[in-house]
Amino acid sequence: MMFKKKWLGTALAAVLAFGTVTGCGGGDEAAEMPQGDPNDTTPVTIQYWHSHAETQMGGLNYMIDEFKKAYPHITVEPVFQGGYPDLQKKLSAAVAANDVPAVTNVEVSVVANFADGGLFQDLTPYIKRDKVDMEDFSKGMLQAYAYNDKQYGFPLIVSTSVMVYNKTLLDKLGVQPPQTWDEIEDYNSKVTEKEGGKTTRYAFSVPGWDTWYYDPWISNGGGTVLTDDDTVGFDQPESLRWAENFKKWIDDGSLMMGFGKGASDTMRQMFLDEKIGMVEHSSAIIKMYVENAKFDVGVSFLPGDKERKSHIGGAGIVMMSGAKEEQKEAAWKFIQFMTSAEHNIKWADETGYLPTHKSVIDSEEGKQYFEKWPQYKAVFDNFDNVGPRPQHPAYPEMSSVYKDIVGEMILNGKDPVPMLKENTQKMNDVLSDY
Amino acid sequence: MKQAPAARTKPKVSMASKASISRRRIESLKDFSFAAPALLILGVFIYYPLLFSLYISFTNWNMTRPMKKFIGFENYDRLVSDPLFYKVLRITFTYTALDVFLTLAIGLGLALLFNVSKRFYNFMRTGIFMPYYISMVIASMVFLWIFNNQYGLLNKFIGVFGMDPVNWLQNPNTAIWTLLAVSIWKGVGFTMLIFLSGLRSIPLEYFEASSLDGANKFWQFLHITFPLLSPTTLFLLITNFISSMQVFQSIDIMTNGGPLDSTKAIVYWIYEMAFVNFRTGRASALVIIFFLIIIVLTAVQMILTKKKVHYEG
Repeated sequence: MMFKKKWLGTALAAVLAFGTVTGCGGGDEAAEMPQGDPNDTTPVTIQYWHSHAETQMGGLNYMIDEFKKAYPHITVEPVFQGGYPDLQKKLSAAVAANDVPAVTNVEVSVVANFADGGLFQDLTPYIKRDKVDMEDFSKGMLQAYAYNDKQYGFPLIVSTSVMVYNKTLLDKLGVQPPQTWDEIEDYNSKVTEKEGGKTTRYAFSVPGWDTWYYDPWISNGGGTVLTDDDTVGFDQPESLRWAENFKKWIDDGSLMMGFGKGASDTMRQMFLDEKIGMVEHSSAIIKMYVENAKFDVGVSFLPGDKERKSHIGGAGIVMMSGAKEEQKEAAWKFIQFMTSAEHNIKWADETGYLPTHKSVIDSEEGKQYFEKWPQYKAVFDNFDNVGPRPQHPAYPEMSSVYKDIVGEMILNGKDPVPMLKENTQKMNDVLSDY
Repeated sequence: MKQAPAARTKPKVSMASKASISRRRIESLKDFSFAAPALLILGVFIYYPLLFSLYISFTNWNMTRPMKKFIGFENYDRLVSDPLFYKVLRITFTYTALDVFLTLAIGLGLALLFNVSKRFYNFMRTGIFMPYYISMVIASMVFLWIFNNQYGLLNKFIGVFGMDPVNWLQNPNTAIWTLLAVSIWKGVGFTMLIFLSGLRSIPLEYFEASSLDGANKFWQFLHITFPLLSPTTLFLLITNFISSMQVFQSIDIMTNGGPLDSTKAIVYWIYEMAFVNFRTGRASALVIIFFLIIIVLTAVQMILTKKKVHYEG
């Protein structure tokens, strides 16, 4: 009998295992033209999976109410799915279960990954049909949600890294935040303060804990993270200039770089305690700085050299390709509504993220917004210079290699340049093994 | 026991053998039906995921693409040729050894200290056990604050003695100790409690007899208490070993495996591979390797300690 039970167990296991082998079908290709009828008003309900934090819920509820007024036949159910990593896990599970939401957020760095797997609906046919004014969007922000020449989504909550500076202090010292790399050393010498060889006030800080902050430094110095043939650019001298400079500025005591968990808190606190003159941080927390600082806070775009760019962060809004046909038309309308110029300023003001349309900047609403938040002006003067991050499905894994090299520089004082060269092959292996 | 009905029908082989076989079948089906609900749950939540992981470990699935390609042992190959694999194993074992040893040693020390029934001691025991009730997530958040280098409690405390603040969480040498601190703080209460129950089951006669023979407290501990506690110790050793090997939550909240991989224990690496880097296939291969490591080491512990464990009665 023991034997029989064992046999049953094995049989059961075999059946289950077989189920998994056969259970995986192939993904279907996106259709050339949208199937749905844009004028159909049959009631339909769609789910919107999101990662909007508590502070953004007021804005989201407002938008959903407005949407309901415009399209009474469409009901949108917002479902909070936790932070981006949680949302991604749940999306993967939903795809495996073949029961996906019609619309979802996606964090900008994993767009390539999900799009590569065919999980997102190519929105290009909808855009063509409804003649969406793509020129009105910031070019870089749109690009961040395109992959292989297909537009998979639109920027929704957009941030970028900016230099937040202590305006009161810099005015007192009579210095301007550097606009080019050439101006940095002069700026450093005026702002850095030392006591017995130890820095008591750093000129500026660049976060070391996330490559998002220094990827633009790499390209601004004339280098490339990812070349066109999907290899890393660290074998070229231009791609090492950022590291050479960072090392030099750390060694002369003017640059503070944080690494590891809690480093963000530390940097924030040091800036508020006036131990750092200027910090590179996300535009999404400019408000936090303004509200907590005892001094005037200014914002400047990242200093440039060969070029002057910063990278997009935050999340976009996309349609899942596995959504039911009758939901797709509604999903498209919702996506279009959420990212339209009409509500752009209201949405940006409520969430603390950036407007995405050019036309709104000169509107009456836009003027009021900039009067309220003059700090955001620096970003809009460089509106088209907010670009996509390096796009490759293996980017998160590959980037952890050079992030750790930066960590070695920060924590152990090592020279990053030879390490970057030595690890080029390793990073290329990660990229090709995908 | 369960075979009894079958045995009863055995003598009537010649005439009623067909009937007996069908009856045996019914009996076995009945047995099975009793076990079925449990088997079903185990099957769905334990065996199926395990077998599925085994299957995925031979594919290049990345969770975001619906297709899986069979790639044989490539995932395993790449893992064992990655230096990080050995570093992660070393970190996991170092953490486990320190965590198990310190939790057991401190737990035993506390059990010996508090093995007295007085109101004050009861109160102290409760106090020490309390952290066990606190969820790991909350405990980790609290310790994150304690170890913060700017406004953390610990740096404030050592500042009183004129010491410079230490970057506990962002220093590769100290980060692992912050994880150990949470785990030990949370775990000693439970260990103490189990040791206490173990201590109280040791017959007092042994102590009386040995003290008549002139043994002091230390010798009593070495030759009576410790050997007779060995079943308790073994139980705690194995349960603590398994849970330490699987350390995850504290890492996820306090260090993210860093800085510079210095706290990247195996389960966190699995998580990172699967959900950050989307290498589900390789992560599954790591799961299988990890599963085998735990099984083998648990078996080794049980075999090694079998001879040394004294079961009372």
